Amino acid sequence: MAGKPRVLVAMSGGVDSSVAAAMLVREGYDCVGATMKLFEDGAELPDRPCCSLDSTSDARRVAEQLGIPHYVLNMVDHFGRDVISDFVSEYAAGRTPVPCVRCNTFTKFNDLVAKADAIDAEFVATGHYARAAEGRLLRGVDHSKDQTYFLWGIASGVLKRLLLPVGSQTKDETRAIARELGLPRVADKAESQEICFVPDGDYMTVLRREMAADAPALVPGPFVLPDGTTVGEHEGFARYTIGQRRGLPGGFDEPMFVVAIEPATRAVVVGPRRDLHGSGLVAHSPNWLGDPPRVGARVGVRVRHRAPISSATVLGINESEVEIAFDTPVMAIAPGQSAVFYDGDVVLGGGFIRESRRAASAPALAGARPAAIPRTAPAAAGTRTHDTRTRC
Amino acid sequence: MHDPVYFDHAATTPVRPEVLEAMAPFYGPRFGNPSSTHRWGREARVSLDEARERVAACIGAESDEICFTSGGTEADNLAVLGGWRARKGKGRSTIATTPIEHKAVLSSVHKAAAEGATERMLDVDSSGTVVLDSAIAALGADVALASVMWVNNEIGSVQPVPAIATCCKASGILFHTDAVQAFGKHEVNARSVPFDLASISGHKIGAPKGIGALFIRRKTVLEPLFFGGSQDRGRRPGTENVAYAVGFATACELAVRERTSAVAKYAAFRDRLEAGIRSQVPDLIVNGAEAIRAPHVLNVTVPGVDGESMLMALDLHGIACSGGSACQSGSASGSHVLAAINHGAVAGASVRLSIGALTTDEAVDRAIEVFCKLARKARGLAFA
Repeated sequence: MAGKPRVLVAMSGGVDSSVAAAMLVREGYDCVGATMKLFEDGAELPDRPCCSLDSTSDARRVAEQLGIPHYVLNMVDHFGRDVISDFVSEYAAGRTPVPCVRCNTFTKFNDLVAKADAIDAEFVATGHYARAAEGRLLRGVDHSKDQTYFLWGIASGVLKRLLLPVGSQTKDETRAIARELGLPRVADKAESQEICFVPDGDYMTVLRREMAADAPALVPGPFVLPDGTTVGEHEGFARYTIGQRRGLPGGFDEPMFVVAIEPATRAVVVGPRRDLHGSGLVAHSPNWLGDPPRVGARVGVRVRHRAPISSATVLGINESEVEIAFDTPVMAIAPGQSAVFYDGDVVLGGGFIRESRRAASAPALAGARPAAIPRTAPAAAGTRTHDTRTRC
Repeated sequence: MHDPVYFDHAATTPVRPEVLEAMAPFYGPRFGNPSSTHRWGREARVSLDEARERVAACIGAESDEICFTSGGTEADNLAVLGGWRARKGKGRSTIATTPIEHKAVLSSVHKAAAEGATERMLDVDSSGTVVLDSAIAALGADVALASVMWVNNEIGSVQPVPAIATCCKASGILFHTDAVQAFGKHEVNARSVPFDLASISGHKIGAPKGIGALFIRRKTVLEPLFFGGSQDRGRRPGTENVAYAVGFATACELAVRERTSAVAKYAAFRDRLEAGIRSQVPDLIVNGAEAIRAPHVLNVTVPGVDGESMLMALDLHGIACSGGSACQSGSASGSHVLAAINHGAVAGASVRLSIGALTTDEAVDRAIEVFCKLARKARGLAFA
């Protein structure tokens, strides 16, 4: 019987990947399900959208219902090394990590493809809201659920073997298919926006567990104004992220935000909204899913999950870095987060933000030409600035 | 498409038809509670007492020395924790065990350590066998309790239990052996070997999951794990599972009766499997090769191959085996047994194929063919 090729489907136990598997089974693929165990289950993580024992059991039950084999892949070592350790060291360095990017870039897809090779699976599939077509990665049809922000780091070789069945539909359509296929266990599961290995949405729990009690990021340091004036004391800069308002000293005429974190002096720099505006950024360790953009290319750039895609121009690019200038200043560009580059719906690639550029500063990369940054008013207020919440 | 074949008898075995038949009346008219005084109760009590006698006879014990448990894990917990708690604060404070024990023993020892005991790990050599001289030297006057498994569940190595039991007896040490993998393959006899406590399990020998027993030599004091009624002399309160006890007794009798022929048959299958794989995978490592091995376990490492992938591929080709001991989430994780015998140094796919009632010549042929094909393919990928 010459059926369709074999697909290794990453199944988290949630609705999206369950429906992805069901859709592929319905299309006649020879599906094999796999749930990745990323960290040891602890009592402090009662249930999670993925990785908990309950979710693994849900995935196994869905697979059984679909009549496909199911395996648990132990990725605890890789995940600890590539994702959790990095998460901790990024906060220690005053940056804001995106663990889902690290996981997809270094752990999840590499391992999935290696396992796919071992079982003669031509394709791998996930439940991401994104589309893979003709070797390109595109935003999910449901832009409000688009997850491409987390996927820029995957190898272009993986892209050619990637199936993303739910990326061509809305979340409501996915839930409807789940009900239609009789997957009620997962159809109405609550959607979590939290980092999978962080208990109760408080990442400080992880940092306190992984860092020494006297680590600089966890001990008191000064709040300072951009001019260096000390205006208070904080209880550890790891608690702060660029753009954050919560937990800052009061008594100012206008709302104040974290505008910089300086690990060397443990200072958290606070300033008014205008000090959050970045006219551009430099990102390192870029990954391009097709040809890299040229200097002068017009691109869309997203600096945070669910942030708007802002128009920008490439100022400079080499193997290790890329610099862009925004048409209109962008709020709260946080080092450590990803900058993801788009051409319409197509994901060009991305990189890790090293620094944001203030309007007056000169370009960093040799050979780059100065950008003409329009001095227009910044984007409207109300932008969510401290959004480390995530869905991988 | 070939029918799938089962090579995971060390994980569990199918319930034998004779066992199912023996249990059937207890799911019908003979449903009584053995503690009741009426006729239903008496009937159940007689069956339970008979089951206890039958199990006792299988291991050279008296019937009051058999305590039914929910399985091997509970028996191990009762032996180690119950033994420790009854001796705690009476002079001796060390518990000696080996790093290759089943987690049911190791975790119980760790729990006892949290309650004040000192852990002492006996040396194990590269074949996965306790080093007897060093064990005897380590079993000194400070040791309250020692626990050494008879047959290792991952690699099948047979431990020098008679010698260690004799040594413990001479030194006044309470000695427990986890005989779960030994029973039915190896003689387990309380008359010839002076162990104080021995765990056996039903589902490894064709009884259902959820029944086992702890042999408790007369005059041995244990603190119970459970509290309630006076069932089993207060050692294990709770209404007895009469059906399972009867099924377990039947399985024990069959295992003892068939032991000699089963051992010969299983060893022949195991040797053919081992030789067949080795002939096509010359650098194959047979874990525990230098040990005296129980006949039903073959644990091999294919150097340079990812174990998780190998197990998935074997299953997809219809060969059911395991990568060590099955854990809660069903995922493969590093084996503490292989780590303890220093195979951590060899990165590779470790696979346990275990033989039993469902093993046939055809199944062995099929396993050799598929295993070798997958090992070669994985090598191609690994070195590509």
